[in-house]
Amino acid sequence: MNFTTFEKPGRKSTELAKLNDRLAAKPAAHLQVQNLSVGYSIARGIFQAVDDVSFEVKPGTNLGLVGESGCGKSTVIKAIMGLQPDGTRISGLALLNGENILGLSDRELQAIRWVKVALITQSAMNSLDPVYSIGDQIVEAIRSHENVSNATAWARAEELFALVGMPAARLYEFPHQFSGGMRQRAVIAMALALNAGMLLADEPTTALDPIMQSQIMQRIRGIHEHMRRSMILVTHDIAVVAETCENTVVMYAGKVAEKGPTEDVLERPLHPYTMGLKNAFPRLPVRGEPRQPLISIPGVVPNLFHPPKGCRFAGRCPFATERCHNDPPALVSEGMQAAACHYIDRASEFREAASRPETWRRMGSAA
Amino acid sequence: MTAEATILKNIDAEAATVIEARDLKTHFQGRSGIVSALLGAKPPVARALDGVDLCIKERRIVGLVGESGCGKSTLGMSLVRMHQPTSGQLLYRGEDITQIEGKRLKDYRREAQIIFQDPYSSLNPRLTIGQIVEEPLLIHGIGNAAERRQKVARALDLVRIPPADNIDRFPSDLSGGQRQRVAIARALVLEPKFIVADEPVSMLDVSIQASVLELLDELSQKLGLAVLYISHDIATVGYICDHVAVMYLGRIVEEGAADDVLTSPLHPYTRHLMAAIPRVSDDKKTELPELSGDVPSPMNVPPGCRFAPRCPYATELCHRIEPELIAGQSGQGVRCHIYGSEDSGLPRPQLGQITQAADAGTLT
Repeated sequence: MNFTTFEKPGRKSTELAKLNDRLAAKPAAHLQVQNLSVGYSIARGIFQAVDDVSFEVKPGTNLGLVGESGCGKSTVIKAIMGLQPDGTRISGLALLNGENILGLSDRELQAIRWVKVALITQSAMNSLDPVYSIGDQIVEAIRSHENVSNATAWARAEELFALVGMPAARLYEFPHQFSGGMRQRAVIAMALALNAGMLLADEPTTALDPIMQSQIMQRIRGIHEHMRRSMILVTHDIAVVAETCENTVVMYAGKVAEKGPTEDVLERPLHPYTMGLKNAFPRLPVRGEPRQPLISIPGVVPNLFHPPKGCRFAGRCPFATERCHNDPPALVSEGMQAAACHYIDRASEFREAASRPETWRRMGSAA
Repeated sequence: MTAEATILKNIDAEAATVIEARDLKTHFQGRSGIVSALLGAKPPVARALDGVDLCIKERRIVGLVGESGCGKSTLGMSLVRMHQPTSGQLLYRGEDITQIEGKRLKDYRREAQIIFQDPYSSLNPRLTIGQIVEEPLLIHGIGNAAERRQKVARALDLVRIPPADNIDRFPSDLSGGQRQRVAIARALVLEPKFIVADEPVSMLDVSIQASVLELLDELSQKLGLAVLYISHDIATVGYICDHVAVMYLGRIVEEGAADDVLTSPLHPYTRHLMAAIPRVSDDKKTELPELSGDVPSPMNVPPGCRFAPRCPYATELCHRIEPELIAGQSGQGVRCHIYGSEDSGLPRPQLGQITQAADAGTLT
């Protein structure tokens, strides 16, 4: 029973205003991930999904986490949220505003999840409860962390729905009454419920068609501009990253291959994997210009039960030498950018060669 | 594409038509509740495919794009007769195959094959690669064991899966890209003339996509295949397709040469579709007003233009009368009233002009 509806209207609106002020005062979070390693233990041994990954999200910026499936992108997100399955081995630090949030108990995590770090999940179909209305689910998230009345929480939910471009009346509906894109918007609204300083978006648009995808990304960009939250955007679509994120981390087989400001990483990649990824990415034709060839990267991602002892990309890299196969490269910085490659000084020469299909095709016949 | 292939393409400018759909309709019968059935109400009908004309020639790849739920896959499956069309005509090399059954249908299926989206669920995990590719030959009773083995090896060679190493392996031993190649080999082993590729690369990683697309392009040239490439990823369509058709709610709203449709789209829907694609470099991206709403349900198709309820330029005429497909000089056709005012040659108005024309009401 909802008794709060009988209260004087004045009190509700002041309570809402107070709640909004309280939430708006939250600063954007600063996240430093240092030497994060995550290993899943399976019957066959330890599967090292993430290996010594470090990056930083400065307050109020977007970080794009890019890579192929199985490269460990989602595992990084799960580790930060504390959502890994039992028996997972985690080492390293994730400093949220200077405090480590890795390896906390469920009770300790309660003060962090939703409040300080919120997750926008990949499959909006599975992340909503089918038997509660969307409004009730958002209200539950708000009321489990903020001591406010049901009516105030509902009013906050209405504001959140307006923010993602949905009519408030639809708060009364259930997830199955929503289309895929609307469900995704509802999940975004929920993630914003407590104005967490850090948003983690795990492939928020992957399952959607292009028009929906562009609408959702516009919402996310708009929220980023107005509310200045920090965000990690996990995706395999480098074009989405190019349009949304200030900084980019490219992962390959559980390790960071390259990181730096998005423009630098995509315009002047230092790592041959980033070069290959860029070539393989289809672009729209431009009138009057010949179509550029689409170049695939030959070979497959190495099996992480038996990671190669040298550079993980060596087996697919057209420039690999003896040294690459034996000696794992460290992350070398060049200006704001850094790449894990032994031959970072030859990057411009590699970039030129990598744009020619023959360079990669020669590899293909060997693989 | 090789120089040789380009020449080939020019020579057979008048290539033989392999498959043609004429006003094809595929409707699905819904079920009504017991009360409305007793009241004599007609059960709802989903008009998934509602009057499609399409023609694919030898050695051509036609791209079919559109939002989810617009009927792309229904068209693909209707063309290979996995769905029975409700009305209209389906011609395979000039022969009417709309209603064929039994042995004739089985024979047609030797000629027309389909490749599915998800190579993780379209291959039987308990069969070896050799058995998977051989199965269609067994079903159609082709050749003896030795001949079949030869055909399987040839099909695997075509998709660059070395048969000697892989014929006894299981799908679980292969990567996603390799599985999709096996699925292509299974479609090719019957030596079809027409292939429907339903989102063949959308489940694959970007670094592998390119190799599968390249393979499709090469096979269509080498074997003279007609291919219908269904995808919502418009960028990949630009790489391999000669011709593009844009679908919206069961009808084709725009079609033409890939270069024309993708670089100068005419229909407001196509323009939005193109503007929605994220770009790596910030080359002139047109900012269009956000489309309101979702695709209407095929059970409740709006009268008039199907796009009118979401179209920012819709006029009263659009809501009332459905536009015909208007063909321009270059062969680019568009189903929109905006272009109806001029008889020959399509105008290419800029966005501002579209709105102006709409405001001025000069569209009748």
